[in-house]
Amino acid sequence: MTRNEFINRLKQGLVGLPASSIADIVADHEAHFEDGIAAGRSEAEVAAALGDPDRLARELKAEIGLKKWEDVKTPSSAVTAIFAVLGLGALDILVLLPILMGVAGTLVGFFMAAIGVFIAGGVLFAAGPFLGLPGGIAAAMLGGVGLMAAAVTLAALTGVVTVWLVNGLVWFARLHYRLLKPALEPQAA
Amino acid sequence: MAETIDIQLKKGVLGLCVLALLARNESYSYEIASTLSDAIGMGEGTIYPLMRRMQSDGWVETRLVESSSGPSRKYYRLTKAGHEALAAQATEWRGFARAVDALLDAAPSETTQEG
Repeated sequence: MTRNEFINRLKQGLVGLPASSIADIVADHEAHFEDGIAAGRSEAEVAAALGDPDRLARELKAEIGLKKWEDVKTPSSAVTAIFAVLGLGALDILVLLPILMGVAGTLVGFFMAAIGVFIAGGVLFAAGPFLGLPGGIAAAMLGGVGLMAAAVTLAALTGVVTVWLVNGLVWFARLHYRLLKPALEPQAA
Repeated sequence: MAETIDIQLKKGVLGLCVLALLARNESYSYEIASTLSDAIGMGEGTIYPLMRRMQSDGWVETRLVESSSGPSRKYYRLTKAGHEALAAQATEWRGFARAVDALLDAAPSETTQEG
């Protein structure tokens, strides 16, 4: 493989990362080729010693994805981390995907329920006093506030569980990934 | 089978080797990769994900050094946390190696007794 082929395949594998990260990684590998050639090796020799660019790209991508989740706990970084983990192939996607879908569906359901209850609470609070419900105005308004508070609690708990689940997944993947570290395998084998 | 054990061993100690190398003096990734490739036969490409992980763990920091030939080079050096990680892992490794050595030393005498 020539230097250009290697760098191009690496770049292809890194698609989806921020441009600055890609530039950084490509610069590292370009420098590696420069140093290797300066040491009297051919492009093909350096490329062979580096290993499979697709696999290197997957590992680098996973490392960055997991780091992002550790830095900021946002829904988008959770999605990035999960896809980085799946991209590694360390976990069997066929086994994991149905479970993930189920868990994600349940969590979304809880969030939707929380939103629904919150709206119901709001309606009861705002409109309740005019509907002439049994118990009077105060009961309707307090009931509304109570429902809204319950909804916020439900949403917060769901959020905590989500963060905890993604953390667990990241931990699990890191563990496997460190054990696997596939680029170490001799390329000849 | 022998090869599998070989790979497993290398995987376990690669991080420790990089820490030990950087504890002696700061270095750039090509130098780290080629030294370790010669010493323990690791794939050179492994160094980049590893250095990135060590950097995000706060074990190494980088600085750019102007090079006489070509673009400036990224040098890695150990942080305080990196030195601490090295000390902890080195102790663990030495204890482990001693235990394995002790077992290996005991093994041949037993086989000669039997044979």
